[in-house]
Amino acid sequence: MSLLELKNIYKIYGDLHALDDVNLKVEKGEWLSIMGPSGSGKSTMMNIIGCMDKPSKGEVLLDGVDIAKESAKNLTMIRRDKIGLIFQQFHLVSYLTAIENVMLAQYYHSVPDEKEALEALDRVGLADRAKHLPSQLSGGEQQRVCVARALINYPEIILADEPTGNLDDANEKIVVDLFHKLHNEGTTLIVVTHDPEVAEVAQRTVYLRNGRLHKETINQHFTGEIKFDNEVSV
Amino acid sequence: MNKRKMFFRMITASLLRRRSRMIVALLSIAIGATILSGLVTIYYDVPRQMGAQFRNYGANMIFTPTDGSFTSADISQGKNCIDQKDIIGVTPYRYESLRMREQPVMAAGTDMAEAKLTSPYWSVEGEYPSAEGQILLGATLSEQFRLGTGDKVEIGFTPSADDNDETVVDSTKEFTVSGILETGGPEEDYVYMILSDLEELTGVSGKIDLAELSISAKSDKLKTYADKINSSVPTIRASLVKRVTESETTVLTKLQALVLLVTVVVLALTMICVATTMTAVVAERRREIGLRKAIGASNSSIIKEFMGEGMLLGAVGGIIGSVLGYIFAQQVSINVFSSSISFMPLLVPITILVSVAVTGISCLLPIRSAASIEPALVLKGE
Repeated sequence: MSLLELKNIYKIYGDLHALDDVNLKVEKGEWLSIMGPSGSGKSTMMNIIGCMDKPSKGEVLLDGVDIAKESAKNLTMIRRDKIGLIFQQFHLVSYLTAIENVMLAQYYHSVPDEKEALEALDRVGLADRAKHLPSQLSGGEQQRVCVARALINYPEIILADEPTGNLDDANEKIVVDLFHKLHNEGTTLIVVTHDPEVAEVAQRTVYLRNGRLHKETINQHFTGEIKFDNEVSV
Repeated sequence: MNKRKMFFRMITASLLRRRSRMIVALLSIAIGATILSGLVTIYYDVPRQMGAQFRNYGANMIFTPTDGSFTSADISQGKNCIDQKDIIGVTPYRYESLRMREQPVMAAGTDMAEAKLTSPYWSVEGEYPSAEGQILLGATLSEQFRLGTGDKVEIGFTPSADDNDETVVDSTKEFTVSGILETGGPEEDYVYMILSDLEELTGVSGKIDLAELSISAKSDKLKTYADKINSSVPTIRASLVKRVTESETTVLTKLQALVLLVTVVVLALTMICVATTMTAVVAERRREIGLRKAIGASNSSIIKEFMGEGMLLGAVGGIIGSVLGYIFAQQVSINVFSSSISFMPLLVPITILVSVAVTGISCLLPIRSAASIEPALVLKGE
């Protein structure tokens, strides 16, 4: 059984079909990229997979449970237990320190554990910046805090929306390397990106256009490591 | 770290690290709490302050004998029916017709120290009699007899013709005018002397015609005292000086109603102000709320956190308001009543509680709107 399965998913706003009969399976431990131009339905799909929206039609099976039929309260619980979210704009709480931002996810999930939160920050290389406020961190550091927050509760899926969209090359590489580490540890990753370099690092990439799955490619040479143009060997 | 600790860490961080934002909310709560605490202090202190002011207008209870005259022992019995801390002064009066330079004058023998307390409005040029042989002369008599402070005058007493008491004989005594009394009232027609002087002149002691009492109490309490005295001391008829007690009650009731009205208006304004500020705070933090919900916060968690912040803000505002409110009430009291107010410790927790409650109520609507924010907004970056 797939970890996530989208069956004949539609999301309709009036006359607009944001998602139009989308079918997708994601296996446990898989690293999937979703690509597509603006307005192709990427965000709508992210919201549905992330239990923040429901499809107009179709089934979304997460661990065999159709989340399309769940109440808002249950969706909150599923989101809290099974999904780790990473955003393009980091979305850290501005008045909480890095470690408090990580503990925030623990707080809503179960019980805050400062030691464990510090370990998570250590995993993303930010243990020494734990007491810093987001405004005292660089963009790359903020995104790494966001990654630490996403993985702190050991979610089934890490859902990243343009995680490198606001980062320079160096920080982009750090974040992708972190994804690689998480993937190696068995975490399922779904990454929405505009950046072909980031998308191609994944095992599989699906392309959305006008709300439909337009193309799917498998990375035959999957290594999970990003290579920039000037590093690619021909 | 347990959840409660984290909860407090979050809400204190929100208040402390977002100082510039929260200062506006805190300011409105603190100002509201200050005025509330100050006005409530004044509300409860006004009767005491006004009572003291009214006591300047003279006695508010009179003892008259039920049968001719009474004695100081009867007065003491009457006094015992009154809470001692409420008694400002009890002045006995005995009236006799005397002769001064062969002309009849009305004299009153009294206790001068008590007279000062029950009739603080008396204006005395010179001094009150402080020893036997001194008199306080009414301004009219002073003019009539051309007597001033320091002058000596002989005063005599002739028993009435039908007085069968053979021990009473025509007697005279020389007095020094220690002061001239001006009141603008009938007191200016009297000669006031120490009671023992009058008793010596008349040869009759222990007889009192009337006693004036100044009591610090509202009319209801005064009436209770009067009823108690009338029922338990048969020689005394206690009655209230209605022009004083009733006007006091009317003024107090109106003043307290005014203070109450202002307090309610201030509370309403504070609530509007806090609600507006909290609405702005929620609007400003839509993205944060969306994020919290996205990472697993339930609606009740969001409500709890914002309510916690609001209530903490209310408590801090209440503490500041309690202190500033006392200072405010003190200033009002000093400037209006020329006396300081007493600190009411109970008002501190009450102010804090009311402040927390008002902030909580004001936060309800903004928090409801916070809880309804869709987490998807965060992902969309709206």
